[in-house]
Amino acid sequence: MTTPSDPFVFPREYYFPPFFTRQTNLTTHHAQLTKWSSLILSYCRHHRLFKISLSDFAEKDLFFNKQLNRRLSLSDIREVIDFMRKNDNRAEYADSDQKNGGAGKDGAGGGGGDIVWIYWRTPEEWASLVESWVEGTAQKGTVLTVYELTEGEGTRGTEFWGIDQELLLKALQILVKRGKAQIFGQEDSLGVKFF
Amino acid sequence: MFLKQIDLTTALRPSYLPDEDLLFVQDNVGLYEGKFKLPNQQNGQVYLTSHRVCYVDKAEPRKYSVALDLKDVERYEFYAGFLKSSPKITLIPKATKRSSLQPRTPAHVSIPSRSGNSSPAHRPDGAVRVSPVEPAPVTTATWVCTICSFSNPVPSNFDPTTANAHTPLPPCLACGIKPTLTHVLKAAISNATSRQPSSPALYTPLPVRPRPNSEYAGAQASLSGSPTKLDAPPKSSDPEAAFQCPRCTFHNHPSLLSCEMCGGPLISHDLPPELTQKARADTDSPGPFLNSIAPAPGRDNLENIKLSFRRGGEKIFYERLKGSLTQRKWLLQGAPPIPKSSRAGETNGTDPTSGVDGARPRPKLGGIAGLESRSQHIRKNNELVIGSAFEDLEALMASAKEIVALAETFARQVKGAGGSSASENALLAESASQLGLIATKDIVGGSSSGGESLYLSELARTLAEFLTDDRRGVLRKAGGIISLVDLWAMFNRARGGVELVSPADFEKAANLWEKLELPVRLRTFKSGVMVVQGRDRTDETTIKALLSWMKDLHEFPPDRDVPWDWHMFGRGVTAMDVAERFGWSIGVAEEELEMAEERGVLCREEGIEGLKFWENFIDTGEGKEYKKAARSREEDSIVRALKESGFL
Repeated sequence: MTTPSDPFVFPREYYFPPFFTRQTNLTTHHAQLTKWSSLILSYCRHHRLFKISLSDFAEKDLFFNKQLNRRLSLSDIREVIDFMRKNDNRAEYADSDQKNGGAGKDGAGGGGGDIVWIYWRTPEEWASLVESWVEGTAQKGTVLTVYELTEGEGTRGTEFWGIDQELLLKALQILVKRGKAQIFGQEDSLGVKFF
Repeated sequence: MFLKQIDLTTALRPSYLPDEDLLFVQDNVGLYEGKFKLPNQQNGQVYLTSHRVCYVDKAEPRKYSVALDLKDVERYEFYAGFLKSSPKITLIPKATKRSSLQPRTPAHVSIPSRSGNSSPAHRPDGAVRVSPVEPAPVTTATWVCTICSFSNPVPSNFDPTTANAHTPLPPCLACGIKPTLTHVLKAAISNATSRQPSSPALYTPLPVRPRPNSEYAGAQASLSGSPTKLDAPPKSSDPEAAFQCPRCTFHNHPSLLSCEMCGGPLISHDLPPELTQKARADTDSPGPFLNSIAPAPGRDNLENIKLSFRRGGEKIFYERLKGSLTQRKWLLQGAPPIPKSSRAGETNGTDPTSGVDGARPRPKLGGIAGLESRSQHIRKNNELVIGSAFEDLEALMASAKEIVALAETFARQVKGAGGSSASENALLAESASQLGLIATKDIVGGSSSGGESLYLSELARTLAEFLTDDRRGVLRKAGGIISLVDLWAMFNRARGGVELVSPADFEKAANLWEKLELPVRLRTFKSGVMVVQGRDRTDETTIKALLSWMKDLHEFPPDRDVPWDWHMFGRGVTAMDVAERFGWSIGVAEEELEMAEERGVLCREEGIEGLKFWENFIDTGEGKEYKKAARSREEDSIVRALKESGFL
């Protein structure tokens, strides 16, 4: 899942101790949330993380600055995630998705989950990426398996190579809705036909 | 001028003279001069003190506040008010004040003005000179020196009804021998009694000088037929008619103001007002000699000040004015000290006024015996002062100054002996000096509803003075900011246990500071803590001070190694650090830090070391979006609400 490459460069705020305390001033708090969400997104993009477990990551360097010995508490992390969900839909609780069928976006009921989708690219963005790749490689009308899209030789080098299957399906569903693709097949061997 | 510009204290109150006591305060008072309102002095507070009547304007206190010395007041009249006309108290200046204008007026102007164009019908033009009632009006009462028989004027401030043995009397102008009190008293009383019948009714013939060319002399005189006391028959045909001096009967030239022979004044001062007014109206020329009691309107040299009480309080004011004009405290200034024990007749003889004591020879003692006897004297004297002071309240008021001085020395002695709690003794001594400074409910007047607010505003001013007083430096010692509770305790202690202020009144008064534009202000922090600080100390200046200090922390390395880049971020500070640095109490420091955080200047860090505050490096512009969004949300909601209610 992770690509070992040059280490992630944390922004300046990451070394600022008050950054790990929830701010009471609303304006400052807003700025704090904005900074945290952009940090999470760039961190996930750097490490190609599509979904994270909050309880896991609370101990990892994203939320725990070992140098300063300061950490962002789990409740504060959830607040950031909520903020990301509401702003531009950059995150989503994976388990609530299953329970409510994706309808629990604005409800507070989504706060319980541990696994969170981090959409450094939203499903829509992924969908258009796949679509433009299909067009670019003149594969309209052909049938591709999901495995081929994520792990195949043909897609190596594209952005969605190695994408989480579930996330890819979310993106493909969007294409289906637009009438640009059709999904068929069983659970483990799904095929996609692009129009 | 009768009205004088005055100095105000920082709390916009008149600054009192030494020994001056505040007697009464009333708001909503306007000033009149003569019959006309003074345009700039129509709404203000009037302070009656033992020496003055001060008017402090509400709108422009520094510009239009004036005062009037009670010693210049000849008479005062009370007008109870009628329908829409407010009750008024008229203060009439002393004649000496007015007649001081005389020498400046050329004689040739005055003559036609007085005798020129008045209607002959009313004039006994028979060139009779009515002798001014003997021996002339009150201001020119004379007493004849028993030594050299020189006739001296009775001092203008001499009032036979209140004079006593201690009223200072001027010596004879010729020989310098002091008159006895009874002598002057007699002269003044005989003068007053002879003036009594000079009511306007009996006074129909004008006491003016003869008009040069009068033809109707005899006819008019017989027509008028009034009970006039005629002087020697005038030489009516003589245009340069001389007239007699009322005192020595010397015939003077008409243009002279005082008798050539005896120096007695030749001008009558107590013309009946209605007549002089008529004359004035006819001639249109100011007749400065005829400064009447009721002056013609619009002449600024004829001052006659009315205080118009638009919201009550006139009765108490009148009573206290009467009291202070009777007491005449201003005479005490520079007068010999209160006679020590006139009753006991036994003092140490330091008092020059009491002749008995001065005559008693004091045994000359030296060495320790002398010191002992001296201290014994002093003790006895103190005993007497205290004893007589408490005999009745009037006397206490009179000897307040001495009692205060005594209290201070006692306090000093206690301090010297005990030496335990020096600060408390200092406070005691201080509180003694506070006797004159307090605004009590008793002093402040006003009718039902107005009274309370006036009391509060006076209390607010007193507080502001208390706070800004440089000698005490209450605010400065507390780092420019003090909590209201601390101030309340301090203030009531300074009052020395009398006339304590209730917390509710105190808070109400503190809330008035802003409205009264006083140099201190009350601030309520988010948590509800109320503090007092100078008006010039705003949140901005506090933040500036905090920030500049935090900027310094970027330069100076912290005490121990820190994991973060202190060059970039400086370090976090606790409320304790701030309190230490700025001399605030910790509570105040916390509140100030939170205020700065509220403004987005600082941000917080909660850690194991407690709550620390940092410069805000989190919000580097992102917050603006939020504010914008919040504002637009607000606007949207307003628009929506308007739409819903059908306005749009």
